[in-house]
Formats: sequence, structure tokens, C-alpha cells
Amino acid sequence: MNIFTNAETVAEPTGVWGAIAGGAEYFISIFNRGGEVFFSLMGGILPTLVVLLTAVNALVRIIGTDKIENLGRKAAQPGLQWYPVRYMVLPFLAVFFLTNPMAYTMGRFLPERYKPAFYDSAVSYVHPITGLFPHANPGELFVYLGIAAGITTLGLGLGDLALRYLLVGLVVIFIRGIVTEWITARMLARKAA
Amino acid sequence: MDGLNKVLVTIGRGVGGVVGTLYQAGRDTIDTIIRNILPFMAFISFIIGLVLVTGIGDVIAQGIKGLAGNIVGLLIVSVVCAIPVLSPLLGPGAVIAQVVGTLLGVEIGKGTIPPQMALPALFAINPQVGCDFIPVGLALGEAEPETVEVGVPAVLFSRLITGPLSVVIAYVASFGLYS
Repeated sequence: MNIFTNAETVAEPTGVWGAIAGGAEYFISIFNRGGEVFFSLMGGILPTLVVLLTAVNALVRIIGTDKIENLGRKAAQPGLQWYPVRYMVLPFLAVFFLTNPMAYTMGRFLPERYKPAFYDSAVSYVHPITGLFPHANPGELFVYLGIAAGITTLGLGLGDLALRYLLVGLVVIFIRGIVTEWITARMLARKAA
Repeated sequence: MDGLNKVLVTIGRGVGGVVGTLYQAGRDTIDTIIRNILPFMAFISFIIGLVLVTGIGDVIAQGIKGLAGNIVGLLIVSVVCAIPVLSPLLGPGAVIAQVVGTLLGVEIGKGTIPPQMALPALFAINPQVGCDFIPVGLALGEAEPETVEVGVPAVLFSRLITGPLSVVIAYVASFGLYS
């Protein structure tokens, strides 16, 4: 893989030419290192990702996305007990089954005043979910994977972090939904006045 | 004879359906890997190579250490990312969040940042998530233009509250993580 590796059979070039040659080696070492990182990503997470994505894609196809549409209709109801459904369960299922960006289409079952809050809630979950279910947002995996790579380098397990990210994410989108719904209501009221 | 035929056809159709579904799932997966995942891996690998080999990494590390190594710094990061004018600019494709996440990962790996800060950091670098996409996201939910008009500022201002709040929640939830 390494181009320009030192064979150490001849003397190193010296002087101006040596400096240029050294510069060339330095230049290529950046890409050698990047290549090593790429190779370790390909060998490390990619095979698992392929199998996991296939399994979940199949599961989503078998279950069918029409099932959660019923939940969307239910979540549209007013009342305190529907808050967790609207801003926790529905966003989670929408992001899991419909993935980014089609998850936001579930907003169509909700009344207008809930739509910004639902969008806020759903879009905020497209990264916390990738720790355990990368199929939901395969184009933006490195928010989690980037940080997770550091944990792996230290030789620590990722399960704890992934699970906490998933659960804290649920709490955060719930709060986000409530806050945004409240702000939306206030802005609508001011606009109507 | 007719009954047997019916059973065979049903089984055949069922098996064919399952195999077809699995095959299609595999096809979708490979498609996603090639189109979405590998290009980003290539990009990230280049950045990591650059950071590790050149001195850029050390310069970034100094800056990041002060901000990402403690809860106050992370709160500052989250507030900056949530500023309504900035957040739509930082959002697109989550590219910034991914690059920053990768840089943080490198520093966590080197021991500059303690590993238990990983969880609050994940939220601190991401209060801008989807802020660039609000009108499109609302349109996907078949929202009226009036809702979009109100929804965009509502979400942006909400982030200013919920962004730092998410960091605090994550910080509390990170007690006992990797220690």
C-alpha cells in the first residue's frame, strides 16, 4: 500500500534535492495515513453495517410503513397523554421505518399547529438513532461514528454510549417537541391578534 | 390434487416473496453504501490523515480541549451552534457536525478529552440539526405556507433553549459512563 517507502539500501538524498524529496515523502504520508484510516473503516465497521442494513431494510419491507400511519392519526389528538406519543414514539418509529428525510412526511397526519414541533422532534432524532440503527440515516453516520471512533481507539465498548445516546435523544426530542409546540402556539396567537 | 397444488403455490409464493424482499434489501444496502457511506468515509479518512500527520491536529486540539473537555465549554459550543442566524448555515448535510465529531473522536482517542464527555459532546455539536431543512421538512409534512412562516422561526428559537438544555441532560446522563 505504501508508495515511497524507504528501502534503506541507498543513502538518503541530501541538500536541496533531499529537502524536496523529504517534502514529497511528507506529502504522501498524509495520504498513506488517510488510506490506513479508510482501510480500517472499510474493514472495521463496513461489513457489520452491510449485514445490519440488509436485515433492517428487510424488516422494514416486511412490516410495511403503512402500519405507523395509523399511529400518526392517533397522535394528532389533543390531550396530555398524546404528548409522548407525538414527540417520542411517533418520531422514533417514523425515523426508524421511513428514515431521513421521508420521516417528516408523517407530519401530514397532524394538525398545522403541531407540524413544526413534530418536524423539530423528528429531525433531532436522525443522529441519536444511528448509534444502534444506522440504516435510518446512512448519509450522516459520522456525527456518532466520528466520536465513537475515539472511544474504540481507547479500547472501550460502544454499547453503553450508543444506548445512552438513543435514550437521551428520546428525552431531548420530547422536550424539544413541547417547547417548539409552545413557541408555535404563541407565534400563531400573536399573528392572529 | 387441487388442494395440494394450492398449498404448493402458496408456499412457493411465500418463499419467493421473502427471498425477493431480502434480495431487494441487500440491493438497497449496497446502493446506500456506495452512494452515501463510502464517499463520506473517503472524505473523513482524508481529514483524519491530514489531522494526524500535520501539526493541524495539535492546533485544533488546543482549541478543542478548552471547549470540549468540560461542560461549560460544551454549553458555549451548543449556544453558538443554536444561534438562529448561524444554525441554518451550519446545518446542511450535517457536514460540519460530522467533521467536528470526527475531530473530537481523534482527540478522545488521544486522551485529550475524557471519554465520558463523548455523550454531552454529541449533543453540543448538534443543536443545529435540520435547521437548514425546516421549510422542506414541513412541506414533506404537507404544511400550509402560513405554518412554514411561523414554523421556521419557532424551531430556530426553540433550539436556543433546547440546544444547551440537551447538553445538560446528556451531561447528567453521562455519569457512570466509562469511569
